[in-house]
Amino acid sequence: MRSFMHNMRGASVFPILLTVAGATALFLLPNFVESTYALHIMILIFISVIMGTGWNILGGYTGQYSVGHAAYFGIGAYTTLILMQYHQVAPWYGVWAGVVVAVAIALVVGSICFRLRGPYFVLASIAVAEIFRVTALNLRLTNGAEGILITDIPPFKIGNAVVTDFMSKVPFYYIGLVILIFAIIVTWMVQNSKLGYYFQAIREDQDAAHSLGINLTTYKNAALAISVVFTSMAGSLYGLYVGFIDPSTVLALDLSVHIVMICIIGGIGTIWGPAIGAVILVPFSEALRSNMIAQALIDSGIISENSRIGAFLKDQLSHAHVLIYGILLVIVILYMPDGILGFARKLLAKRRKEAA
Amino acid sequence: MAVFFQSLISGILIGGVYALIGIGLTIIFGVMRVINFAHGDLLMVGMYLTYFLFRLLHIDPFVSIIVTIPLMFLYGAFLQKFFINRVLDALPQNQILLTIGLGLVMSNTVMLAFTSDYRILTTAYSSSSLRLLGLSISVPLLISFTITLVITAVLYWFLYRTDTGQAIRATAQDRSAAQLMGINVKRMSIIAFGLGAALAGTAGALISPTYYIYPQVGSVFTLKAFVITVLGGMGSIVGATLGGVLIGVVESVGGVYVGSGWKDVVVFIVFLLVLLFKPSGLLGTSKD
Repeated sequence: MRSFMHNMRGASVFPILLTVAGATALFLLPNFVESTYALHIMILIFISVIMGTGWNILGGYTGQYSVGHAAYFGIGAYTTLILMQYHQVAPWYGVWAGVVVAVAIALVVGSICFRLRGPYFVLASIAVAEIFRVTALNLRLTNGAEGILITDIPPFKIGNAVVTDFMSKVPFYYIGLVILIFAIIVTWMVQNSKLGYYFQAIREDQDAAHSLGINLTTYKNAALAISVVFTSMAGSLYGLYVGFIDPSTVLALDLSVHIVMICIIGGIGTIWGPAIGAVILVPFSEALRSNMIAQALIDSGIISENSRIGAFLKDQLSHAHVLIYGILLVIVILYMPDGILGFARKLLAKRRKEAA
Repeated sequence: MAVFFQSLISGILIGGVYALIGIGLTIIFGVMRVINFAHGDLLMVGMYLTYFLFRLLHIDPFVSIIVTIPLMFLYGAFLQKFFINRVLDALPQNQILLTIGLGLVMSNTVMLAFTSDYRILTTAYSSSSLRLLGLSISVPLLISFTITLVITAVLYWFLYRTDTGQAIRATAQDRSAAQLMGINVKRMSIIAFGLGAALAGTAGALISPTYYIYPQVGSVFTLKAFVITVLGGMGSIVGATLGGVLIGVVESVGGVYVGSGWKDVVVFIVFLLVLLFKPSGLLGTSKD
């Protein structure tokens, strides 16, 4: 039995089986779940996992901490939505147009900024994202601070058969799921390829990697390009799903931080880290945002609705959903610098050691 | 031409406050090599302190810095002792994320406590101005600039003339060498972060009569603080002083000639160019 579990080139079959089972369950989920709210949360989680997984290639595997990935999320979203709304280009082409534009811009930015290291690179990535935000705020093309509101998405047809008309949440769910699986597969391929080893060599020691003949700018740019493909797709999907984008949501510094946080909390440089981070962060912040936590505290009788604290929480807690991000971030950095996944692994290893 | 001089003078006046923000950040970076992403949020805390001292106790915002400075110093020392100190040897990116987290906690706690409403601190002289040689000079900006000058002078005296100040600068130059010379670097770090927080808080107090006060105001100033310190050279106190005034002028003049919407783009492009071609700052000599 044990040998069966470990045949395929040392990789155990069990995790693969588990992954396939999980993916199948996710594919079947909309058949059983009626609640649109649950689907909504799932779609938000998918978008977060996609952008986190994208960032993870650059930040986690290559060690280049970009805190400006909102730029590429926004570029993807804006390209797709502008093409659709003002030029009647169907979104399933627009998404790819977004990817092309975002990657092209990323390569220009990367060629300039990858000369910088450590904190200086972080600062430069923020500055670049801010330049895009302020530009979008001032251009007529992006409709400035008003943003872009989409009126309707054309139905997706193959031949004459309508595949979906995007009237419900289900098509977005499946699109998100497919991109997510694609992103996870790409991460897995990167992790186990020569390219991925180059990335990790750069992360561990740039100078050593360089002296072994790895062209730093080329491979950092390669990581950035892969990373931006998914970030941009996540942006397009977000724009189409929510139906409204403006600079303060899709190009904000907060979004860049959110992307990094998903990975840090889950565990950077791991395949499942961003997924775990998103599964923890997104529902929690949505629960706070939609006042579910305050309501639950009141319903459970812990706090009376008429008391001052109850009224205060009900009014204010939803505005402060980011507070939870801050607290989590501080705790994770201080106590679990390898993220939840790294922390769990350490615990497991410790237990095994004790058992042995 | 009058327009140019008018924007130049307002730029210099606001630049004094920017200098305070920049000096605080640069001291923290110099001593600990930590980029404090919560710097703007410290400024925001200073603004709220000033606001409530004014509303509840009717203390003039410029007088209230007597209370704000020590309080913010203690707050900064507390943050250093219990949070920042634990990540001094961690990866730079983890230090950055910790300060981002602390900033989020600060801004969202303030939002939870006082709502995200914009508050305005109106004093009798808030909108009054002096006329000098055909130029109008805003009174609150002039007072704040004068106070900035005094504080900067005291700070220079402290850092260059006192033992503690020199110990701080020694720690900034070479942490381990300073430790070998018998300097208590841990204490210096606490003082440095305290100073940084006090300066940010003071800057917040000084601009509160002329600026909107809201929980998210910090991020604007965090970004500005980075630009200022990078411009002057990370860790350079003189550089941060000049960088602050320079950014004040660029913003103010840029706002007139490029349009207020685009002025931030100009600032960030200047910032990127400096990062790329002169990462040691405009004044700095290359040193790693």
